[in-house]
Amino acid sequence: MANTSIWWKRGLYLLLALAILFWNLLPLSTLPPSWAGPDLLIALTFAWALRRPEFVPVLLIAFVAFLADLLLQRPPGLMAFLVVLGAEQLKTRAIGLRDASFAGEWAAAGLVVIAVFLLNRVTLALFVVDQAPLGLMLIQMIATILIYPVVVLISHLFLGVRKLAPGDDDAIGARI
Amino acid sequence: MGVVLLCLLGVFLVWRIDSPRVERFRAQVTDQVMPNMEWLMAPVTGAVNLVRNVQSYQRLVDQNRELRSELRQMQAWKEAALQLEQENARLLDLNNVRLDPRLTYITGVVIADSGSPFRQSVLLNVGARDGIIDGWAAMDGIGLVGRVSGVGENTSRVLLLTDATSSVPATIQPSGQTALVGGDNSAAPLLDFIENADLVRPGDRVVSSGDGGVFPAGLLIGQVAADRNGRLRVRLSADFQRLEFLRLLRHHGTERVDDPGRLILPEEDLSQSLPVGEPDG
Repeated sequence: MANTSIWWKRGLYLLLALAILFWNLLPLSTLPPSWAGPDLLIALTFAWALRRPEFVPVLLIAFVAFLADLLLQRPPGLMAFLVVLGAEQLKTRAIGLRDASFAGEWAAAGLVVIAVFLLNRVTLALFVVDQAPLGLMLIQMIATILIYPVVVLISHLFLGVRKLAPGDDDAIGARI
Repeated sequence: MGVVLLCLLGVFLVWRIDSPRVERFRAQVTDQVMPNMEWLMAPVTGAVNLVRNVQSYQRLVDQNRELRSELRQMQAWKEAALQLEQENARLLDLNNVRLDPRLTYITGVVIADSGSPFRQSVLLNVGARDGIIDGWAAMDGIGLVGRVSGVGENTSRVLLLTDATSSVPATIQPSGQTALVGGDNSAAPLLDFIENADLVRPGDRVVSSGDGGVFPAGLLIGQVAADRNGRLRVRLSADFQRLEFLRLLRHHGTERVDDPGRLILPEEDLSQSLPVGEPDG
């Protein structure tokens, strides 16, 4: 049934998010890195929000992002707030972007990623919170944008998160 | 959606206003989540390290040659160390020195790191249950690693010396200059606030000074090194490449000498004389 498959996909998202957190937390190297990897969680969330909004409901994103804030020693709430805001922004544009080329989609997601990182930095500066080095943050931002197509490709090929084509109604047709 | 956003923003504001409460909540969440992950984390970490070790086997011949030459040097040092140990034992005996019995330690296993490239901390599998208290010093076998910052029931977080928010008062031997070892998210923390930088040379030993009463004095931190811009940094003695077991030193604060000495002053002057606030250590 279509309804159960949606819940499967939601469960899959939660599982993937936990796996990403788990991977981040592995004590593989305790030396400070000179470069920062992409924020996979953001890339995954935005890709899914843009392609299949019904797979990532607000509460699920909020829960995952808030847990990430707590476990990864970030100021709790702020990044989660921005990620939820960004994902919702992308969801509202999902229908318009359904027919757009991948470049258009990538640009839309990339802009939101940039907005999230910049707003995070500006807000932290406004509240006089200790900041991460700017260079490291920029590297992470660019890496996140670059990893986005990879995340989309994997989601598309292996996880079955495909954009709805006209005439498709394998989801709960009424709500789209 | 609006409600969710408001909640998240609210949490952030509460954190900014009342940080300790939210940090306690964070410690509790970590305490609940991490032990559940531990059974999976240990084997995965082990497997990845195994692969890395195999990669390093490819450079085995080079390493072997290096090790042999190092071993030759070490044998000379070992001889010197043995002689010094004997001399030290003799001198200690002569002076009737009593080593501080309170400097005992608890050993914990690293179960996770901070998970973010911007924060340098590790999570240990010992917590309030084992009597860990905020602020205790953490060492590996050789040098200082950081201090406990955040204690849960079963886990505790160690803020590493390399974290940007860490700073530790230190003494540079043999010149005796005091300085602050402040992390800046790089492998070698900066040396700040040196009184007279001319007296400090690369290669000097940096040990904790005990100022401020948080750390015991005399813990080895590392050696002075100058970076490309000529700024002085500390090359840490502890092996930050692979932190696995950490010792947490039991420490109950450095006692201060506030008493002005009762033999010379008359009784009525005692109440007026302010303690001259020189922290010892």
